[in-house]
Amino acid sequence: MGATELLQFALAGLKNGSIYALVALGFTLVYAATGVINFAQGEFYMLGGMLSVWAYAGLGLPLPLAGLVGVVSTAAIGVIFELLAIRQRKDGDPLALIIITVGGSMVLSSMARHLFGPNERPLPLFSGGGSVSVFGAVLEVQTIWIIGMTAIAVACLWYLYNRTGLGRAMRACAVNRDAARIVGIDTRLMVTVSFLLAAGLGALAGLAVTPLTQTAFDVGPTVGIKGFAAAILGGLGNPIAAVVGGLVLGMLESVSIAFISSTYKDAIALVVLLAVLFVRPQGLLGRSRREKV
Amino acid sequence: MGRARIDIRTIVPLALLAVLVFGVPLLSADRYLLKVLTFVGVNVIIVTGMALLFGYAGQVSLGHAAFYGIGAYTSAYVVTSLGWPWLAGVAAAIVLTSVGGLLLALPSLRLKGHYLAMATLGFGEIMRVVFVEARGLTGGPDGFSGIPFPSLVGISIDSAGGNYWLIWGVVTVVLAFSANLVRSRVGRAMRALHGSESGALACGIDLTGLKVRVFVISAALAGLAGALYAHVVGFISPSTFSLHVSVLLVAMAVLGGTRSLAGPVLAAILLTTIPFADAVIPGLSRSALETIQEWQEDVYGLTIIAVMIFVPGGLAGALRRISALGRRAG
Repeated sequence: MGATELLQFALAGLKNGSIYALVALGFTLVYAATGVINFAQGEFYMLGGMLSVWAYAGLGLPLPLAGLVGVVSTAAIGVIFELLAIRQRKDGDPLALIIITVGGSMVLSSMARHLFGPNERPLPLFSGGGSVSVFGAVLEVQTIWIIGMTAIAVACLWYLYNRTGLGRAMRACAVNRDAARIVGIDTRLMVTVSFLLAAGLGALAGLAVTPLTQTAFDVGPTVGIKGFAAAILGGLGNPIAAVVGGLVLGMLESVSIAFISSTYKDAIALVVLLAVLFVRPQGLLGRSRREKV
Repeated sequence: MGRARIDIRTIVPLALLAVLVFGVPLLSADRYLLKVLTFVGVNVIIVTGMALLFGYAGQVSLGHAAFYGIGAYTSAYVVTSLGWPWLAGVAAAIVLTSVGGLLLALPSLRLKGHYLAMATLGFGEIMRVVFVEARGLTGGPDGFSGIPFPSLVGISIDSAGGNYWLIWGVVTVVLAFSANLVRSRVGRAMRALHGSESGALACGIDLTGLKVRVFVISAALAGLAGALYAHVVGFISPSTFSLHVSVLLVAMAVLGGTRSLAGPVLAAILLTTIPFADAVIPGLSRSALETIQEWQEDVYGLTIIAVMIFVPGGLAGALRRISALGRRAG
């Protein structure tokens, strides 16, 4: 295999990895605030694409505005879901909350089917179908969009997390919820904010990918599992780890297509997930924590 | 507590229930109704295992459809392609799913928290890919057809009534076994674990071993159900064993409630019958049925959420409350 082909696979891995990173960030933000795996995360990805298509084709908005409507309304749905379902379970029992997100996932995808029908829906490329050549490998312009939007989202999130009061409160909440409450942080608000960000990031991924792959009401779970595997691979609860996990997973998949076979491509992520869970449950970047009684 | 339950007031209703359940094929020759109820029985077997796992051991599996599928494909393959007798196919299904359950549970239950839910989710999706791609064994996306009916001592059980009796016979054995289990030492240990993990640990209960054993039992029951399903229906395909089915099974266990077998069994019967409502409600119009099927997902999803928020005890909790009221009135 030549260097050009290898580069081609690496670019594909980077593209998919960016998507996994955005979805993984959603898992990790909610996990940091609640200690819960949000099984509805994939549905936010689906809604981001579907609502943008609806705003573009249904309402006739220009594409940038339609994308904005898609992302913002999905973030709003994330907040509504948190307020109506997650927050209502007062004791915050993680097992109960996980099951609630499983139910939420069913309701969200089914609602999308009622509203937008069962068919695949397209979205035009953000800036035409051109491509540029990178050392002989073909890089589609839409891929540049995907990687660029991910990079900007990660930079904004980094700023929010490290340079603002809200970010500090979220980090405090992730370290120790009770201690955060004692120093006057509204931990419930932090949970709502985490759902807002998780839904927005998932929607952004769905919006960026739809011009290449189309979207449908049932695309959520597959991407959700990939993003989840990425979050575990990096180490749950740490945003940097989620991004690293996403990129590593995208590369792993690309490498496995190049050297093994594409038949079991979808299984690779899951085999990695199980291997990491069993061998290094704290993830690549996580530190192991001793359980105290 | 264990002995007090076996009195006339529980035996009579149970006996009546048994007569009613086993009398259905004598009362009705409606093949569609019998097929639906046979399918209900298959789900009751799986959900009984899920009830032990969720309601007693406090663990969630999002991959039980995979064990259901492994059981179905194993038995279908060894009976149809290798020519083994049916009972050997069922045994192979149970052995393979038990081993699979053990291999999955040992590493994930050693860890605290909800690693099992994650591991089973990943496992279920891997198996879905395998069911589709391992064409030589499974027939790929088109499915595995031509699976013979169950046969015992050379007699093929090929009538709708015969299949119904077979499945509900197995359901009875499974429920008797499980009811016994929850009243045994293992059952008491599980109740202690549900109360307080640290407390149970302090009493010398081997928590991990207990959870692993319960998971293996639930995987084996799903495997058994799969083997029964494959031979009763005669055709299996990957869509029968998808993540969606795993989630439905969780929904049944959740709606049924914790520390109960009756609740989850009732939930399995209810939720399995919803899409086939025309079999049990005579004269239900076609459009009404289509509406039910159209909104079925929403109903399931909202039910899960509502139960978790408003009635964490599920149907079992409601049943307990009713029986407590009855006792006070009597």
